[in-house]
Amino acid sequence: MTRSRSPVLLIAALLTPALIGLVVFRLYPIALAANDSFFNVLRGQPVFVGLDNYVALLTDSVFWNSLKVTFWFNLLINPIQIALALGLALLYVQNFKGVTLYRVLFLIPIGVSLPTAVLIWRIMLSQDGLVNGVIGIAGVPAQPWLTSEALALYSIIAIATWKGISYWMIFIIGGLQNISPEIYDAARIDGIKPWQRLVYITIPLLRPTLLFVLVADVSINFLLFAPIFMLTQGGPADSTNVLMYEAYKSGFIFGDMGRAMAVIVVVVAILLVIVGLQFKLLSGRREAKR
Amino acid sequence: MKIIQTAIAAGLVASMLAGTALAQDKTLNMIVIEGGDTTAMQAVADAYKAAHPGVTINLQPYPFAQFFQVAELRLRSKDAGIDLVYVDAPLVASYASRGFLSPFDASVDTSTLVTSALDAGKYEGNQFALPINNSAQVLFFNKTLFANAGITPPDGLTAGETASQAQVDELAATKRWTWEQVADAAQKLTVKDGGRTTTYGFTVEQFGELYQLQPFGESLGTDVIGPDGYTAKGYLDSEAWTKAATYWANLYNEWGVSPKSLGYGEAAQLFGNGQLAMMAGGTWNLPGLEASGVDFGVAPYPYFEGGKVVTPTGSWYVGVNAASGNQAEAVDFAKYLTTSAEGTKTWFDSLQQLPTYKPLLDEISTAAAFDSFPQDVFRLGVYDSLNTAKARPVTAAYGQLQDAFRTAFVDIANGVAVKDALASAVQKFEAAAARVAP
Repeated sequence: MTRSRSPVLLIAALLTPALIGLVVFRLYPIALAANDSFFNVLRGQPVFVGLDNYVALLTDSVFWNSLKVTFWFNLLINPIQIALALGLALLYVQNFKGVTLYRVLFLIPIGVSLPTAVLIWRIMLSQDGLVNGVIGIAGVPAQPWLTSEALALYSIIAIATWKGISYWMIFIIGGLQNISPEIYDAARIDGIKPWQRLVYITIPLLRPTLLFVLVADVSINFLLFAPIFMLTQGGPADSTNVLMYEAYKSGFIFGDMGRAMAVIVVVVAILLVIVGLQFKLLSGRREAKR
Repeated sequence: MKIIQTAIAAGLVASMLAGTALAQDKTLNMIVIEGGDTTAMQAVADAYKAAHPGVTINLQPYPFAQFFQVAELRLRSKDAGIDLVYVDAPLVASYASRGFLSPFDASVDTSTLVTSALDAGKYEGNQFALPINNSAQVLFFNKTLFANAGITPPDGLTAGETASQAQVDELAATKRWTWEQVADAAQKLTVKDGGRTTTYGFTVEQFGELYQLQPFGESLGTDVIGPDGYTAKGYLDSEAWTKAATYWANLYNEWGVSPKSLGYGEAAQLFGNGQLAMMAGGTWNLPGLEASGVDFGVAPYPYFEGGKVVTPTGSWYVGVNAASGNQAEAVDFAKYLTTSAEGTKTWFDSLQQLPTYKPLLDEISTAAAFDSFPQDVFRLGVYDSLNTAKARPVTAAYGQLQDAFRTAFVDIANGVAVKDALASAVQKFEAAAARVAP
């Protein structure tokens, strides 16, 4: 009789630390943010303003521009990162001459901390930096990578991608190694072409891994802050002013916590919708097939 | 998150330190900026402790880049772990309007302080912060680069010469260069080698900062924002500011005489290396430039032809945290720091910043120790602070103004059209300011 009771207790005991962590570090801050978004501070006193902070966002052109930048940034960076990480992972599991060197090279970015990477890139992308020097050899004039409205966002995408893909690559390698070699053997006997192997075998069987990478990558990129804070402060002309930076500026530079928290709640809501859609689309289709 | 963690950790350490102090002793905690300011404040704190046994001033230094956020967070959370706060002049209104600071009462004798500096520490008639020192900006020029290019440098103070206050006054009143002269010389002094600039003609020390650039438009006759503190339309986008911003745009794009996106301290480095012919910067650069060995002179801060002479001013203040449990002791140290002969002298000797304490200003004007270069540069500071200095606007939305202004001027240097950048700054400032306007 005791045996039937123990799993419940055991499960509860094992889950408790994680649940406490979830509540303390995730749910509580979100609740706090949601609560603060209903207040404004006037003369040092918090004043309840209801939905005013959200209503104000509706007509706030800075907010809408920031939302647009955030979506555009994510529409580009997530597919790019995942496609590149998948490509790198496929190369990583191959056996060819020099593969060890290749593997080491692509693991380096994981070991470099983000601020360090950002600082190095800042120097390399400066007017007289390495990147302009290299393209100068090819006769291309020096480009204002981080200081022009047309290039800054893409430079940040490139830096974040350089830093991020190796990390995602590791997960995809794990997924690839889980695919049974017998399936490939069977496919080879059937005379399948390499591209068919990728589209019909590898990617469908990688779906659970790709779902995880997609969700985690989108969340991280939606909340990306450090490179923007360190390189462009949202400029030039607001071209890199993502919602996270806008919220930071509102709260910590302008002392307008009510607006900052309203922006944060909007970010969390958007993220929830996107992650929900991803789960539905990716896992739903798999179930339908089965 | 890092910053919040740092702030919490610092708060914990501070409260532990406060807790371990002996019962009869008082420890006052003060947040300051790391570096020279902390060294100077420690010197004053030591002198204070010698005169007031039983009271210890414990400094909590933060890097400049983090200081404002830490101060904002700790003051907002009514953190009793700090008693005294280092306050940047334009933030006085923002802090005071939110009840962060205790006002100083009539028991503090402020008659020995420069009036304009005192005024910048007031909000709605109350003195919320006391000025620790003032600041003055000048035009540094590299004599060797001017000589090599065969150009006559501006009249100014240089090594090997002495200057009385009267001579400095005359220099500042009649021989001040215009920005047009600066641009003209800068174009001749800039050296380009295959697309790369090896010598820049001119730069401002603080890239895109309101402190440094406020005189640009105001020299042409229009304030940066209206007297209510929340209106920028008709001010920042006026004809005067458009002209000033166009000059700024030309420095970077049309003429290409200034380096883009200089970080903190990078202008002084370029100047010290001999790669920059002219720099509009603070007198605080003097010790560093002396040490660099570059042969330089110091001229008054320029103005626009046909305009008025306006120079940057204002610096750091001290305030008492409203949440502090040691109000009387904190006020006493603030008084010592700003209105006593010993406190102000200790500070000046350590940091070499233009004082706001009048007896010390008199000493600079008259004492023989200030006759020779580079000490005579402080006499230029004395002239400007009494005649041409214009404080930054008093507004509870100063952070918003500073950010909108910086964004606009950085964007303009990077090639965004002047009209668009100014219009966007006006719109952004007014929208953000309206949210904190009373």
